[in-house]
Amino acid sequence: MMRRRNSSFAPSGLARPNSSTHSLRCGLHSFAASRLGHGVRRTIFQYFLPLMFCFTFLGQVWAQGGGELRFCLRAEPKTFDPLKVEDDASVSIRYLTGGVLVRMNRQTQALEPELAQSWKVSKDGKSISFKLRTGISFSDGTPFSAEDVAYTVQQLMDPALHSPTGDAFRSGPSKVETKIISPSQIAITFPAPVAGLDRLFDQVAILSARSSKKEMAVLGPFMVADYKPGTTVLLKRNPNYWKTDAQGRKLPYLDSISLDIQPNRDVEMLRFKRGEVDLINALDSEYFDKLAATSPQLVHDAGASLDSEQMWFNEVAKAPLPAYKKNWFRSATFRRAVSQAINREDLSRVVFRGHAQPAVGPFSPANKFWFNSKLKPTVYSPQASLKSLQAEGFRLENGTLKDREGNDVVFSIITNSGNKYRERMAVLIQEDLQKVGIHVNVVTLDFPSLIERMTQTFDYEAILLGLTNVGLDPNEEMNVWLSSSENHQWNPQQKTPETAWEAEIDRLMRAQASGADAKKRKESFDRVQEIVVEQAPFIFLVNKNALSAVSSSVQGASPVILHPQTFWNAERLTVTAK
Amino acid sequence: MPGRTTLRQTMLGWSIARHGLAMLVTVLLGGLLSATLVRFAPGFDVDENQLDPRLNAASVQALRDARLQEHNVARFYYKSLMRAAHGDLGTSISLGQPVTTLLKQRAPLTLRLVSIGLLMSWSAALALALSAAWWRSASYDAVTTIVSGLFLCLPAAVLALLSVLWNVPGSLAIALIVFPRSYRYARNLLAKAYSLPHIITARAKGLSELRILLWHAMPVIGPQLLAVAGVSVSVAVGAAIPVEALCGLAGFGQLAWQAALARDLPLLVNITVLVTLVTLLANSGADVLGQALRGEHA
Repeated sequence: MMRRRNSSFAPSGLARPNSSTHSLRCGLHSFAASRLGHGVRRTIFQYFLPLMFCFTFLGQVWAQGGGELRFCLRAEPKTFDPLKVEDDASVSIRYLTGGVLVRMNRQTQALEPELAQSWKVSKDGKSISFKLRTGISFSDGTPFSAEDVAYTVQQLMDPALHSPTGDAFRSGPSKVETKIISPSQIAITFPAPVAGLDRLFDQVAILSARSSKKEMAVLGPFMVADYKPGTTVLLKRNPNYWKTDAQGRKLPYLDSISLDIQPNRDVEMLRFKRGEVDLINALDSEYFDKLAATSPQLVHDAGASLDSEQMWFNEVAKAPLPAYKKNWFRSATFRRAVSQAINREDLSRVVFRGHAQPAVGPFSPANKFWFNSKLKPTVYSPQASLKSLQAEGFRLENGTLKDREGNDVVFSIITNSGNKYRERMAVLIQEDLQKVGIHVNVVTLDFPSLIERMTQTFDYEAILLGLTNVGLDPNEEMNVWLSSSENHQWNPQQKTPETAWEAEIDRLMRAQASGADAKKRKESFDRVQEIVVEQAPFIFLVNKNALSAVSSSVQGASPVILHPQTFWNAERLTVTAK
Repeated sequence: MPGRTTLRQTMLGWSIARHGLAMLVTVLLGGLLSATLVRFAPGFDVDENQLDPRLNAASVQALRDARLQEHNVARFYYKSLMRAAHGDLGTSISLGQPVTTLLKQRAPLTLRLVSIGLLMSWSAALALALSAAWWRSASYDAVTTIVSGLFLCLPAAVLALLSVLWNVPGSLAIALIVFPRSYRYARNLLAKAYSLPHIITARAKGLSELRILLWHAMPVIGPQLLAVAGVSVSVAVGAAIPVEALCGLAGFGQLAWQAALARDLPLLVNITVLVTLVTLLANSGADVLGQALRGEHA
């Protein structure tokens, strides 16, 4: 379901037909023809009207060039240092202020040149060389060169940094080598192959090696002009930004962006309705429908996002659970049967009001390249679920499922309190599983308590949570899929893989991570997706849609599924006076 | 009577010293209690960022190590006190900024909210209580009692949400939270004072209401009103937490809320100490002032 605003999909304000100018010209034409003599008329047509037209056109251009865009950050940005960024608010600021060598187009998902005119990844996937643009300066006027790229990479790869951006590049224990070939050419060599190496540079904002302002000297379209903690971050247009539009006008069009720090989503929505903010990203489906009922032109449903909602059972050997429960949770048949008994269509329809798609596997279909299109969606069938459970030795007695030893099949699902969608999903799952005799208790905990149970005490039976995917490449999820890793949620930190299928996933993930051939990598990860669906360590439930709202005063917005959804093309947005 | 004055001053001095000592002990205990509660709260040891799949094992371990320094509450508290003695209140775990900076940034807003809220609530409470005492109309009294009762029944969070919905300042929400408490005490005290024989006589003799209030009623109810005013500061500071958190106002209240959710020990302990200090200062100040007034009156 896609709602489109009439004016929002034009590439830029300048490309649109200027209807107001046209009508003004027609009006003056008829006025002149009826009241004035031929000579005067000629003068008007020859000089005055073209002049008027030019003024009107220039006025429009000038009007489109200015304006302030306002939207909310949902938390305080933890840092303005682009290399240390880990939270969403800081990611948004980095996106708007940071200049990168290559940028992934959020609409096409293809890589595009930015500060680098061209780049080349070596066949072994260890090295990348960039040819840089020349004549570019940072916001403080210091010139940009290969030296800045080398400096940024060295800072990023500092082992003490501990940032997600830097960790994504770490392939081996040795140092990263940077070789400045000329002021506009640089080669970077990593100790071991880095899968999807060029794409990772989308997240690396280049720092100035020489500026005294350090991270506040930027190459992106905007720069941080003011920061009022807890209240606002004000970004102003970077006067030295290098990009121009097709007509040769300097980008960005906007004068400034005001980012109001507003953790309360109800307040954000109220402020949008009052016209105090212009955009809302990741809109709740409830708000989406309310807004759509009154102003359908303001809301956008871009379809399934990369984010998934999933549940999993505790398969940790040392978990403080009765042995018979561990046996259920470690049985792939049991997990698959539970998966079959959950009605995903209902979850999408009831909980997300139709703004979610039943999940097929680990990756959403929104990930155009990496999604395995051969995967079959799990068909909801309580009968088939019960049948496979019975084949495994379970039996239904007076509406209650019992295992071989006669234990009632009862378990609890934990989710984070305050997330109304997950709480509702848990209740629906509870109802669905009751149909096959499984009794589910729903428990909500605050997030730190839940993480403690999940990662330290392992004192849980099943967890319902979501996974927010920032990147597209499976390499960014290595720590989820490798059996030895911390984030292998269902059974983390295994010394050696405890099951054959986990050993196979380990092998395939390592194979895809060390290869530079995208086709071979895709084959490996397709197989990983198949194994995950077969074994159901994660029971993927839904992929939420990317919902957003854009005020009618914003021109040029074209919301997409990838972060930052509504303002991915911020440099080409304009805001008309409210 | 110079001897009597000296005695009164000595007693006042003792009273101030006693209050000061009590405040110090309470603040220190409050801080320790807060540190202990946060330390043993579930989820203290974890950082949400551990779940970031892009982080490698070393980075996850670094996140865990950051929390290890605060495992021993006694050691943490002792070190915090030593640092605080040198003006360093530590660094917030969740926001990554020095606590001193955060408190300085947030203090003005909360101070403004609480001050304006208290001013509005006390102005309304005194105006209504005085008019009720002067008119002595049963229906007027009933209406004001019902209105204040209504606000007393409404949870602070509901008033905060209404202020968001109607786009009114957060200080008004604080005023409405404090108002019923101030009004009820002020009304009862004034009603009691206006039924005293000498005030009835003064009114019968035709003295102006202002003179009766200032010369006869206030000396009687002044110390008690001051005590209630002290308590109302605590109520207003307490109300600032839900109001700021729900209205999205960047003050102490919002900071406290965020710190609690993130189990941010250094920040929470300092906020607790500060709020305890403000509350005690208000109450002790009211006590000492009341005592001084009573002494003057005697």
